[in-house]
Amino acid sequence: MNDVGPRSRLSRRQVLRYGLVAGVAVYVAPLGSRAYAALLDERLLTAAAWNGRSDSLKYRIDATSKVTGGKVFARDIRARDMPHWPQQQAHALILRTTLADRLYAGFDLSVLGPDLKPDRVVTAADLARDELAFPAFYGEDMLLPPGKTPAYLGQAVALLIFHDFARFRFAKEKLQFNDAVMRYGAVTGPLQRDPWGASRFVRVGGRTGYDEDVFSCTKQAPVSPVAYDRHEPVWPKPAPDGDLGAQGMVHAQATDEELSRPPADWLVMTRDYATQSGDTAALEPDNANGWYDSARQEMHLVVPTQSPQEVAEGIATLMARSRIGLKRLFLHPCFTVGYGSKDHSPMPYYGLLAAFYGDGRPVRLANDRFDQFQAGLKRHQFSMRYTIGVDRRTGLLQSFQAGVVANGGGRANCSVALTMVGATSAASIYYFPKTDVAATAFASRALDCGSARGYGALETLAATELMADELAAALGLDSIEFRRRNVLKTGMKNAQGAVPDGTQRAETVLEKAAAHALWTGRAAAKQEYEAAHPGKYYGVGFGCIQRRFGDGAQASFAKVELAPDGRITLSHTGTEIGTGTSSGQAVACARWLGRPADVLEMAVTDWPELPVETSGNPHAMAQDEQDRLAKNPRWVPAFASSSSASNSAYYFTHATQAAARVVFLYGLLPAAVAVWGREVTPEAARWRDGALTVEGLEPLSLARLASHAHARGLVTGATVHVFNRWQWAEADFEIGGAMVRLPVDALSLRQGDANGYRVLDRRAVFFPPTKNNNTMVGYNTCVGTLVEIAVDATSGKVAGLNHHTILECGNMLVPELVSGQMQGCLASGIGLALHEEMPLYEDGPGNGTWNFNRYHLPRGSDVAVWKQTADILPPLSDSEPPKGMAEVVCIPIIAGIVNGIAHAIGHRFRALPVTPERILKVLG
Amino acid sequence: MSLPTRKVTVTINGKRHGPLDVPEGMMMIDVLHEMLGLTGSRLGCGIGICHACVVIWDRDDKASEEVQTCITGAEFFDGKRIRTIEGIAATNDKGEVTLSTVQPAFLDKFSFQCAYCTPGFVNAATVLLERLKRTPVAKADVEATVAAALEAHICRCTGYVRYYQAVRDVILVTPGLTRDGA
Repeated sequence: MNDVGPRSRLSRRQVLRYGLVAGVAVYVAPLGSRAYAALLDERLLTAAAWNGRSDSLKYRIDATSKVTGGKVFARDIRARDMPHWPQQQAHALILRTTLADRLYAGFDLSVLGPDLKPDRVVTAADLARDELAFPAFYGEDMLLPPGKTPAYLGQAVALLIFHDFARFRFAKEKLQFNDAVMRYGAVTGPLQRDPWGASRFVRVGGRTGYDEDVFSCTKQAPVSPVAYDRHEPVWPKPAPDGDLGAQGMVHAQATDEELSRPPADWLVMTRDYATQSGDTAALEPDNANGWYDSARQEMHLVVPTQSPQEVAEGIATLMARSRIGLKRLFLHPCFTVGYGSKDHSPMPYYGLLAAFYGDGRPVRLANDRFDQFQAGLKRHQFSMRYTIGVDRRTGLLQSFQAGVVANGGGRANCSVALTMVGATSAASIYYFPKTDVAATAFASRALDCGSARGYGALETLAATELMADELAAALGLDSIEFRRRNVLKTGMKNAQGAVPDGTQRAETVLEKAAAHALWTGRAAAKQEYEAAHPGKYYGVGFGCIQRRFGDGAQASFAKVELAPDGRITLSHTGTEIGTGTSSGQAVACARWLGRPADVLEMAVTDWPELPVETSGNPHAMAQDEQDRLAKNPRWVPAFASSSSASNSAYYFTHATQAAARVVFLYGLLPAAVAVWGREVTPEAARWRDGALTVEGLEPLSLARLASHAHARGLVTGATVHVFNRWQWAEADFEIGGAMVRLPVDALSLRQGDANGYRVLDRRAVFFPPTKNNNTMVGYNTCVGTLVEIAVDATSGKVAGLNHHTILECGNMLVPELVSGQMQGCLASGIGLALHEEMPLYEDGPGNGTWNFNRYHLPRGSDVAVWKQTADILPPLSDSEPPKGMAEVVCIPIIAGIVNGIAHAIGHRFRALPVTPERILKVLG
Repeated sequence: MSLPTRKVTVTINGKRHGPLDVPEGMMMIDVLHEMLGLTGSRLGCGIGICHACVVIWDRDDKASEEVQTCITGAEFFDGKRIRTIEGIAATNDKGEVTLSTVQPAFLDKFSFQCAYCTPGFVNAATVLLERLKRTPVAKADVEATVAAALEAHICRCTGYVRYYQAVRDVILVTPGLTRDGA
């Protein structure tokens, strides 16, 4: 039953990639991949339907399977769908605490009676005996033992496994919402812990934004706390001749003094803002299905994840450290959706537990929506105090002081990194001569939080945009004019003292917004609307932000191969999370190969074609450490990034196009030259209607060129690894006897019909300097949204009448995907502005009672579905790369709505969401 | 002691299933997923709100209706005929698939992203088109009609625009679904 046997067309060893992690052989076969096709003979990705004449994709490459209800999600999979698994599916559920201020004392399952008893109960004692523990990133107590106070509401205490579905289902019904199940001891109060982390970003600029800074994170360093006192950061004492932190505090102190006793012509405003705890509410709840073959010591797991690399390594390492024997791990990552909640999520590890304790049966662990609210990674709640000084005479911003505090819940997850991103993004599109932003991610009994869409910047940027409007009003300035006066221009330093890459286009976005009819006509429209609709207040608001894409340590692999008949196969580490990454990457091949990839494999985590090594933390590495490690020609700063941080359009595409370019330059072009009988430069050759052309020469089809390349032993495949720390790593390679510098840090080639790849060890490498880590924001996308709303005075409801978004995102790989992402993100922003919230603590989802009846998600009627419009700025040139643009669009609409409410009713809200109840309170 | 069961016979996508021994009180979504392997009707909320789980009930009066399988017991469907997402497209003996009217519209319009909710939207749109065949709507009312038909369906990825546009466009080009005038 376990042996694939004659049903497979290829042996597993031939088809599945494998790597060795902590002594465990890891095989990864994403469902729908060729590797998995050897087992299942199904294809979930079709060849790209390409309109060669218009160079456009007809529809997503994963479209047909999705629109026909195909089994594309991990949730769709049962044991019967895995032909090499035992066929009887077992099911598991997790028991969770609903209180976190008293000792956990065990649980009572007597409510189940004899008929619904679980077949296996797994507790912390089992994990301790078997030495199973979370990877360090996830902290302690995978299952909480009795005698401890839970770290957070909803903490897992036990896994219950049922061999059949019916008993599982009815047992779950009895246990869910039942306060009698959990037992508690003495009240201890919630755990008191120091923050997960804190940092402070101080900058004093030079004479202008273009001149050298006096002090900044990029030039010197961020300021770290020296200690925590009563769980609050203690910053260094200011000392001009102290270390960098102490020097930074000298400037922070001066900034504070200036704001406290400002020059006479300054307006100084202080405001407090708060954003909500939220749920990403991905419609696919977290799940896993796994089988542990104890005889062969093999673990098989089907998981949805945005970070398959992390899951593969984490599970292998976890098992290697345990007392369990594990020789091989077979991981099947699937199509999924998460908006950040499936990135570095603990769920795959619980799936592992369920499989391991399944007594030889496959076990499915799948949250329902109540479970998902109780256990899925949450959006951090933020509180911000902003103090801004502005010159009344000029309307120019002078100084920005901020305290940013994020509630990181009961497990750290990415809280520190996220809070720092939020802090360093807060200055948004504006130039400030001086900034001092102190950021703290604190620990609490709230549910653990993850990298929810926006990654901290959503919260801080929304607040900045609310304050921009209020400052403009206090100065008597049009709020877009105020923004335009203060916009960060190309070449100016940001709040970290770094110059963001590329042309800054916020000014263009502002100009377009200022000229739009929604803005220019808003006063007259307000009069007219309110006259025609008694009892409703009309308003127009605006928000404009820029946000980084990527996280400062982006890495990926890509392999492009040409078959002799011209079929293109692309393999990539990127994961499809609904955004159309797979379609976009397939299309990305067209730039150098004339058409999209025919065969696509995403979420590939093992690369025997290009073995590299990695070590250290690329976000926190010292320069001398990087220099030392870089001497190893196989060393790279990071292996592969998860699908997150809006990274596919720019970063994944770079890898894809780097590999495709190598195949073009060293395979297709020489093949063409051989046919044409004369040299041509790469710049002179163009793809037109599927053929490579040069003025005056015979057009050559890809199939013909590929056939020649194979016959002549030219390059027919290239595997690259790329790394970006706000600039691309480059390296020199010898190819065909000549040295060439490529924007990759590792490379291997296949020549002709060779079976394998030959690694070309780099002769020199140029990694981005580690001080770029202090930059925090390297690449930006800018977006502005005008919003037209009406407030109903009787109900307090806000109707979204219309909205118009202006976006700059470089060249688009697939315009329909960009437009779709924009529309979806706008809806997310509307939800956060007006609808979505849940209490942080005992009344919140940690008690297991939350669902969509209490957490309102926007519907079609909430998003101006027929009227909304958008203007995507043309790229600056044909060669401008595509920019990450998804989560950025969630943000300005939030401010646009809340600013629009201010225009409508004259009240400025500073906390989200702005619900009807809160509006009615103000309207009195 | 085993759980009490009821016999349920239901015709799904033209194929008769049963009598199935269904535990009493089990929701239809669980029968579809766990007993019949039809996982396309997706669990989004389990309390009838998101509509990702809807199937099409073909009533005896020839009308069709969406039914949320997460909150409807399997016993309700005994003797009834339903269509799930798996049966909306036609598959011939060679395994070749012919999509329905709605499905290509969703493809061409790039209407979905993750597609977890897509089966529900396909079924809702299918029911709408079938209703309009019986009772055409004025062209001027098409957008409002589409919005009303799809309002209950939650999508977290797309912001709804391309779903709604696709259904509107299908209605406007399909003969017999609209009428001129009010």
